[in-house]
Amino acid sequence: MSTIERVTLPDPRYEFGGDDHVFVELDEAMSFDANFEAMAITQQLRKKDIDGIFEICPANASYMVRFEPETIDPHTVVETLKSVAEETDLSEYQWDTRIVDFPVLYEDEWTHETLMRFRDNHQDPDATDLEYSAQLNGFDSVDEFIDAHAGAPHMVTMVGFVPGLPWCFQMVPKDEQIEVPKYVQPRTDTPSRAVGYGGAFTAIYPVQGAGGYQLYGRTPLEVLDTDQNLADFAESMVFPQPGDILDFRRIDRTEYDEIREQIEAGTYEYTIESVSFSPEEFFADPHGYNEMLTEVLRG
Amino acid sequence: MITVSRPGVLSTVQDLGRFGQYHIGMPPSGAMDPFAHRVGNYLVGNDEDAATIEMTYQGGAFEFDEDRVVALCGATMAATIDDEPINMWEAVSVEAGQTLDIQYASNGARSYLAVAGGIDVEPLMDSRSTYTLIGLGGYEGRSLEEGDELALGAPPEGATDRIGSAVDDEYIPDYDSIDSIRVVFGLCDYRLTDACKERMTTEPWTVTPDADRVGYRLEGPELEFVEREQPFGAGTDQSNVVDLGYPVGSIQVPQQPIVLMQDAVTGGGYATVGTVISVDRGYLAQKRTHQELYFESVNVDDAVAARKAQQETLAAIRKSLE
Amino acid sequence: MSTEHTITAPMPGVFYRQSDPTDDPFVEVGDDVSKGETVCLVGVMKNFHDVTSDADGTVSEILVENEDAIDVGDALIVLETEE
Repeated sequence: MSTIERVTLPDPRYEFGGDDHVFVELDEAMSFDANFEAMAITQQLRKKDIDGIFEICPANASYMVRFEPETIDPHTVVETLKSVAEETDLSEYQWDTRIVDFPVLYEDEWTHETLMRFRDNHQDPDATDLEYSAQLNGFDSVDEFIDAHAGAPHMVTMVGFVPGLPWCFQMVPKDEQIEVPKYVQPRTDTPSRAVGYGGAFTAIYPVQGAGGYQLYGRTPLEVLDTDQNLADFAESMVFPQPGDILDFRRIDRTEYDEIREQIEAGTYEYTIESVSFSPEEFFADPHGYNEMLTEVLRG
Repeated sequence: MITVSRPGVLSTVQDLGRFGQYHIGMPPSGAMDPFAHRVGNYLVGNDEDAATIEMTYQGGAFEFDEDRVVALCGATMAATIDDEPINMWEAVSVEAGQTLDIQYASNGARSYLAVAGGIDVEPLMDSRSTYTLIGLGGYEGRSLEEGDELALGAPPEGATDRIGSAVDDEYIPDYDSIDSIRVVFGLCDYRLTDACKERMTTEPWTVTPDADRVGYRLEGPELEFVEREQPFGAGTDQSNVVDLGYPVGSIQVPQQPIVLMQDAVTGGGYATVGTVISVDRGYLAQKRTHQELYFESVNVDDAVAARKAQQETLAAIRKSLE
Repeated sequence: MSTEHTITAPMPGVFYRQSDPTDDPFVEVGDDVSKGETVCLVGVMKNFHDVTSDADGTVSEILVENEDAIDVGDALIVLETEE
């Protein structure tokens, strides 16, 4: 049975960002250990509601806070973060999160048109982004590669860049993880809702704009709804939250169009189930744990 | 109400910003030079967080349909009310039917038009600031256009008593003479060689024409990274790191540096090597394209002291206007 | 009687004589321009802004090279105008 190899994190680096931020690097490399640590510490910080700290931002293998130095001295912030880190023990930690069905139309016409337009910016001008990524990661075909990408759920390990953009890290052992470079020269254009990949992360572009990730497909779902028309955006205009588990599901054009119609009519409801996530159980048997998670979703 | 008869290059409604949402990718937005914004509001008797109009490089022309006290603070912009010149950093009266016409910026890059009562757009997440990248907040999420009609809040009591009161010269920044921008180096500056870090503080940087509310792209000495085998997940370029959060004011180095400003992208995969201190973000925002500046390395305690000193100045200005 | 009129930069940025490298310049020396006509562009903050003539006249001199850096108030184009 394959397990997630545990990573012993180095001593965290506490760095001042001017007079009003502290940035904490837990590791230079990505790992579930680093991310779960960032998630656990920032969740605890939020609960403590410390006077003067007004932004708490978990990231992939780091986290950051912003504060008012008039209310809390920067050195006190660092001491506080250190003590919260000391109190946080991943082995006893679990959190409530949600698993979400995330349909994706792989090899869609829109991202295909875009990536062909920017071939000169790419490592391999003669292949598509999917062909290049499949080959680089040792897959025999694009289909097999897509099956792997959609074959196990992905955890949202960070949200940002612009509102609503999730970075997702696939919940598989390291030797099964996809890794690809970003474009040599970023594109000046990417369709909204494009599903891209860079480093070890899937990203979903909330709006049309520049981008440097390899393009694989397009989801009919929104990650940002500024007018909050859709029911699942009632609380926030941004859908993904750090810790969410997204289950990418390969769909065809007919289903894509059906979902888009409902999204545009404001009637679509995301398929979401609440789950309690246990890092320990996931580390011990990721494939079994993922199966249990997706079963909850697919009922 | 005021009507925009000429918008200028980039004029947006801003207050002190939108907070608590950085973790979902929402930057604060808000005035790029909060000092000038605040002083403008003091002059007309507003709360310091009342929305003003931030004008970049070029002023706009605004027609008033009611009497209001206004103040123009920030970069030097010649301004007239129905062709009569007015002073900046002073509470001035505009009467119904008159047009306030503001010209281009000479000393600095941005000016703030404060109006007694504030610009009354619908707040979004407790802020009236405009975030144009996504089209949120402010006036329809965009920069002002000809014909836009801006509602005004109820003027504060005694606003008209303030007409003629002005900020003392000693408090008015001479933006073009400030060419040293203080930075707390750190974050991921281990990615740069020592020689490169040294060059960052000794050689001049030039503001590029791309510099905007998202980031100030600078041009200067070539950067040099410490060669390494890239860690898992970072991407292959030497400038790449595992995607992380970017502090507001942080300097990211995709090659040539970009200092992230009020409409910052909140995170990403380029190494960050330091952070412009909060006070100097306002001074940097007053740099025009092609102007030169130097980075000066300071520590966090210096940065806090500079912030405290500026707050004392603001308190003194406020007191002098009472 | 003809006099000189100078069109100045209304903002800092990069001076462009045409909207696309393959297009003809907006104006050449000797061209007649009328008030309100676009004579060049300034690129700044990732956008291009039209600079329009503030007088009727004939272009007698173009003082800035294409893609040069300009600051607010810089003299760009000289017109000969009829009084």
